[in-house]
Amino acid sequence: MSASILTVDDSASLRMAIRIALTGAGYAVTEACDGIDGLVKAEQSRFDLIVTDLNMPNMDGLSMIRALRAQPAQAGVPIIFLSTESDAEAKAQAKAAGATGWLVKPFQPEQLIRVVQKVLGR
Amino acid sequence: MSTEDPTGVFRAEASELLDQVEQALLDLTQRPDDAALIDSVFRGLHTLKGSGAMFGFDALAAFTHQIESVFDRVRKGHARATPELVATVLSARDHMRALVEGDAAPAAGEAILARLATPADVPDPALVASRHAAASVATGAWRLSFRLPRQALAHGTNALALLDELRSLGDCTLVARRETIPPLDRLAERDCYVGWEALLRGNVPRAAIDEVFLFLLDDMELSVAPLVPSEAGARPAAVPVAPGANGAAARAARGAQAELVRVPAARLDTLMDRVGELVIAQSRLTEIAGDRHDLLLRSVAEEIERLAAELRDTMMVLRMVPVASLFGRFRRLIHDLARETGKVIALETEGEATEIDKTVGERLFDPLVHTLRNACDHGLEPAHERLAAGKPATGTVRLTASQAGGAAIITISDDGRGISRERVRAKAETSGLVAPGETLADAELLALIFHPGFSTAGAVTTLSGRGVGMDVVKREIERLRGTIELASVEGEGTTVTLRLPLTLAIIDGLLVRVGTGRYVIPLAAVEECLELSTEADRRSVGRCLITLRDRLVPFLRLRELFATDTAPDPHQKIVVVANRRERIGLVVDQIIGSHQTVVKALPPFHLSLGTFSGATILGDGGVALILDVPRLIARGQHGRGAMGEAA
Amino acid sequence: MSAIAPVAAENDAADLAWDSRGNPEVLTFAVGGETFAVEAMLVREIVDPLPETRVPGALPLVDALVNVRGRIVPLVDLRAAFAMPPSAVTADRRIVVVELTLGVAASLLGLRADRAHEVVTLAEASSEDPPALGMRWPQAHVRRLVRWRDDVIVLPDLAAILAPALGVAVATD
Repeated sequence: MSASILTVDDSASLRMAIRIALTGAGYAVTEACDGIDGLVKAEQSRFDLIVTDLNMPNMDGLSMIRALRAQPAQAGVPIIFLSTESDAEAKAQAKAAGATGWLVKPFQPEQLIRVVQKVLGR
Repeated sequence: MSTEDPTGVFRAEASELLDQVEQALLDLTQRPDDAALIDSVFRGLHTLKGSGAMFGFDALAAFTHQIESVFDRVRKGHARATPELVATVLSARDHMRALVEGDAAPAAGEAILARLATPADVPDPALVASRHAAASVATGAWRLSFRLPRQALAHGTNALALLDELRSLGDCTLVARRETIPPLDRLAERDCYVGWEALLRGNVPRAAIDEVFLFLLDDMELSVAPLVPSEAGARPAAVPVAPGANGAAARAARGAQAELVRVPAARLDTLMDRVGELVIAQSRLTEIAGDRHDLLLRSVAEEIERLAAELRDTMMVLRMVPVASLFGRFRRLIHDLARETGKVIALETEGEATEIDKTVGERLFDPLVHTLRNACDHGLEPAHERLAAGKPATGTVRLTASQAGGAAIITISDDGRGISRERVRAKAETSGLVAPGETLADAELLALIFHPGFSTAGAVTTLSGRGVGMDVVKREIERLRGTIELASVEGEGTTVTLRLPLTLAIIDGLLVRVGTGRYVIPLAAVEECLELSTEADRRSVGRCLITLRDRLVPFLRLRELFATDTAPDPHQKIVVVANRRERIGLVVDQIIGSHQTVVKALPPFHLSLGTFSGATILGDGGVALILDVPRLIARGQHGRGAMGEAA
Repeated sequence: MSAIAPVAAENDAADLAWDSRGNPEVLTFAVGGETFAVEAMLVREIVDPLPETRVPGALPLVDALVNVRGRIVPLVDLRAAFAMPPSAVTADRRIVVVELTLGVAASLLGLRADRAHEVVTLAEASSEDPPALGMRWPQAHVRRLVRWRDDVIVLPDLAAILAPALGVAVATD
């Protein structure tokens, strides 16, 4: 079936924008509202890809990525993080933590889909 | 239909965020060094900026960015949250609220920024770098050498996808460098050790190469050098155009971005036929060359083989289009159908990036319209009926596309009432298609729907009852060398599955021998080939399962399926083929090798056998049948079926 | 199988040659000791036997494919339609390639012939409908019988003969 994607963001509007873009492109989307929620959902079912924000309450994106990569079951699951262009440092940290790719905010739905396709290898 | 309005959601969310920022700022006046509070303000501003830009609140995003920068300094300890700063940011927060509501005075914002006096925005160095790279000029060919970061695979990078992406840029020859792979005992399972050398031809801009490795550039080894002329000369084949023409080609490539040429489809068809004939002639040449010890002849034959393959690939790409444009045309249809029927209908689509042959796509339009009409008109119930049946009021029609084993699969499903067997039978009996009380298997009963003139509509509506039935749909699909299947559960819905050839053209195939017959297995479906050990062969007698690396795989002995009467080869081979969900092994006598297969239509007499999807002409002029892998898999999964039962 | 109403295949087209005035030309050929004929205008070429590819599971009527100048052509064995035993291989064997409209698209068919005779002009006056009784063959498989010299030429109804192989269920009368 279609690739399933977990999107982790504390912003409901951004989650909605992501969901609309991704479901429109045929992906199945599950939402989580912060790092902890993301971790829990990632453990409940295996996703083909995780799209996460970095700045989030409770558990930020970096910690979530590190926690995910520490689990053997999540090794190799692509993780795309959303950053702003001023986040050069955060970008380096997220990469070191084990992120696969990133997307700079703001982005158009097509840009998101392109990055998702690139990482999933269509 | 979607009633979601992200902008509305954003406004509500922004209002909450601004409240959160305000509270934190007020608390900061009491505890100016509280890191959690500073974080909370920063995060609120950050989210506001990101989401604002996403939803077109550009002024808000730009203004918030300035305030965020200030607060980032506080967060990093470069500045303190003085009462003055907090007061200014509080007024900035009010201005943001006005920006969200759309009644802000620009002067107010400028005044606030002046008070903060933030330094000018520094552009992101990464962006500058990529802009610089994009400016560099394309050359005729690149020599690449690269190695991915060790962690790349563990960190989710799909190396094969990257290689594919690289190949998609131009004519690409890839060689893996394995010398860096450590001995087995020092091998970490998930680490990536292989390096690659690549020769990339065809006016590829340097930036496009960087784009492929976008996420890995900082951490990987990558050297990209223009292919120097002497090196190109060492392999004459590497440069398809004369050096003088190169510049012109590069200019043409740059212009091509904006320039599109419309070509009548018929001309593409003619070209495709010629390419097909060329490929057949080429495989004959390769065979002849293989029989002789003439190195010159062999090298020319290889050269022509390569060129023919390239020409073929180019041709295929020219004809392929994503189904997105086709699917896009149905949104309006569903919208109109919902209005006409008074039903609430949601259209879900999936796999719109799936590419199919342009002609196939065009000719699919009408059959899909009919099928969607049927789903909306007959399949989906009115909202009150759905609610009474414990279903959501909104009926869902799903349209999906995917590729599997050299075929495009399109499904149209609804979560409606399903097909009433009783009504089908009643209708079939009144129209004399079946005798009253005649016993029919469920599949036979459903198949009646495809019979000419059959219609189950209780009342003729403006939509479906136009005398265009599923028989027309079926005929159209079969003309495309496709198949149509119907599955329906009463009360739950109906799914129509169309299987279509991706293209009417050429595929890579694996040529095998079973008895004296030669067959082609589409290479796209082949997972692996192995020898069926005599022991496994003997043990498997009487059952149709074999253990492959701790996996139970059902298999079909093609010798049995094809009723072959010659003696089997002593060492039987097993070709494991798979579609997306299932795999089976096909046992053959011999694997002959790969074969560029020009797909020719099967004569109409052999379509219903369900075993072959086409035929092809081999280098020696003989005809080989192309195995229909998805149907063989279905057959293998349901136990062995003797040939002819499907006819 | 269910008694599905006969589908009016486009075999009317095959009668055209008889409807037009004048004397239709046919190619005669031998299969299993009988003389058959097809309209010369349908014949594309006559070729020597070619390497055949058996199609597993296909009806004996059309169970092999050959490559005729780059086109894949199914071989039709009229023996299967007329309940004849296989005949010995001789040097005279030929394939008569005809073009026929089956359903919607024109298809090439190769008719196996023990020998290809000649193109002759038949007089409609000497032709007759197949008798309802007394024939060894299914009546539906014969379009016309034509007296020619000392022989009787059989004009097979190819569309009717091939219908079962097309998956079209035909009522058995």
